[in-house]
Amino acid sequence: MAALLLLAATLCSAMLDAYVSLTSQAMIYVLAVVIAAYKLDWVPSAVSAVAAVTALNFFFVPPRWTFEVESQEHFIALAVMLVVALVISHLAASLRRESRHAAASEQRARQLQALASSLADASTPADIVSLGQQALDSAFSGPNTVVLTAGIGESPDATADGLRCCMAESAVLGPGTGRWPGLNAWYLPLGSRGQAVGAACVQPAHAADVDSREHAQTLCGLLDQALQRVNLAATVQTAETEARRQQLQSTFLAAVSHDLRTPLAAMVGAASALQTQSDKLGPADQLRLLDSIVSEASYLSTLTENTLQLVRLTSPQQELRRDWESLEEIIGTVLGRVRQRDLTRRIKSRVPAGLPLIRVDPVMLAQLISNLLDNALQYSDGEIDLTVALTSRPVAGQNAQALVISVKDRGPGIADEERELIFEPYRRGDQSGPRESRGAGLGLALCRAIAAAHGGSLTVSRRTGVGAVSA
Amino acid sequence: MSLKVLVVEDDREIRTMMQSSLSVEGFDVQTAVSLSEARALMRNNPPDVVVLDLGLPDGDGTELVREIRKQHATPVIVVSARHQEAQKIALLDAGADDYLTKPFSVGELLARIRVTLRHRGTSLAAAVTTHVLEDLRVDLAAHVVERGGEALHLTPTEFKLLARLVRSAGRVVTHRQLLADVWGAEFTGHTHYLRLYMAQMRAKIERDPAEPRHLLTETGVGYRLADT
Repeated sequence: MAALLLLAATLCSAMLDAYVSLTSQAMIYVLAVVIAAYKLDWVPSAVSAVAAVTALNFFFVPPRWTFEVESQEHFIALAVMLVVALVISHLAASLRRESRHAAASEQRARQLQALASSLADASTPADIVSLGQQALDSAFSGPNTVVLTAGIGESPDATADGLRCCMAESAVLGPGTGRWPGLNAWYLPLGSRGQAVGAACVQPAHAADVDSREHAQTLCGLLDQALQRVNLAATVQTAETEARRQQLQSTFLAAVSHDLRTPLAAMVGAASALQTQSDKLGPADQLRLLDSIVSEASYLSTLTENTLQLVRLTSPQQELRRDWESLEEIIGTVLGRVRQRDLTRRIKSRVPAGLPLIRVDPVMLAQLISNLLDNALQYSDGEIDLTVALTSRPVAGQNAQALVISVKDRGPGIADEERELIFEPYRRGDQSGPRESRGAGLGLALCRAIAAAHGGSLTVSRRTGVGAVSA
Repeated sequence: MSLKVLVVEDDREIRTMMQSSLSVEGFDVQTAVSLSEARALMRNNPPDVVVLDLGLPDGDGTELVREIRKQHATPVIVVSARHQEAQKIALLDAGADDYLTKPFSVGELLARIRVTLRHRGTSLAAAVTTHVLEDLRVDLAAHVVERGGEALHLTPTEFKLLARLVRSAGRVVTHRQLLADVWGAEFTGHTHYLRLYMAQMRAKIERDPAEPRHLLTETGVGYRLADT
């Protein structure tokens, strides 16, 4: 490049030789030197400055075609031009260095900003590690590594060794850090002393490249902050889940102590009466005691079933056994079962023909409907309407069809402030009411859990209508 | 000679309860607490009907049902808890005749035993060709289905489906069995066929399709043609 510039300057000066003086030709060479200094590094530009002076001397300063200089004036001019050329090339080189430095810092600042904003959205340590890997790869040619403590393992290779060591020392290792300067990469811990959660390895590393090392350290600092934030959130969530679980357990125990003991007491009482007093009891009394044992036992069985299903549904590994089912069929079987407790046929069901098949867990859905019907039978006296309607509602811009199953009774209704409370496990509406009612209040909690598991919802509204939506 | 029942149940209370209530009904009751004991009893003194509990200490009983099916036509009734759906269906598909869900009443147990005994041997010779319950009358040989004396027109597939249920009247037939016998072995996953055809048949046969009297659904398991 320098040679081309000098050649161009020489040709140009040669062409203009007849029309201009030596001063203008010198200026053309100076221009070539300035351009070379701006484009090239310090050493080649200095060389081109010397070469320009030599060429001017050789081609144009009389006597031409020699390196000799005729007059003292020309000698001074050449010397000044050499100094000027060298000064210019030095200035241009440092200007270029600084503007390159500024551009690099700006790019790094921009990268830090982008990383910080994308880390704000990351919710798992794995996300953060992959974002960190991307950031390091775009800033350093690599190969780079970002791993969490668990990901390093016991592998014996040099990189893993360096990662382990920088975590143990909680300090950056590698060229220019004063620790292990012989390495060809920087090893940076994520996290402060004693709490390193991971480490990174960055290449290439040069002792003099302080900016790059600081940039890598800043990137790792951002990753560390994000990891700590996520870990903290996870800890808080675990603590909350644990607290909720314990609360559920204690309310469950409280409910068990009442709702399981009462029927058990009734059963033991009735059975022991039959055992010890059968000769004194009339046949009608004996039948009554037997009936009470059977009904208390079947109540206990329902309660156990509801409890187990609720526990199963709220455990995260639960999978529904879904299949294409006919709602008409499910309601038919539920009615077949519930009619045994509905001898006066209070339940009026209106299920339209030709409903589409739905993909549900049939046992769960049957339990939902039968719990709702049992509830209605227990808490009201008049007719109970069971209806199913197919509706369209907009979901995410599309018209999705939904089945609305509703059970309406003519009971006393539920106070507004109790509306949501009745869906809490182990709670019963009408706590202080005169009605002799029972049930651990699990039924509705289970119904809501089943509806939710099917992507539906369960709500209660005035006239004690209870509706389940199953999409 | 009284009929022999083998009760395979590991819970002592339930075993004793079944033994005493079946003895009262005139059955000759043998009991086993494990699958291995049941196998030994099957060899030495084959019973007329087996009542098999799921979740025995030495296995889930599928193997036992297969062995029984290879050698005998002995009916097998599976007793299961609610959450053992998948195992129960596997046993029914392996050849068990019917099932009971715990807790069950003695009345239900006796009814199931009576139904399975009535069908004893029918898996070998297709003996059942007619079915009558209340207003419904089905005669498979004559290809006639009547409700209240009035002939009903069924499509060929509907008739095949009904015929399959009639041959096992009173007993549960799993989705897989129905699909394999009516549509073919490659259709066993297509439960939606069944739902649609059952809905059509109910519309023709039942007085109130929403609360069926004849074509009963065994939720999540299969169908049962009512016979009492």
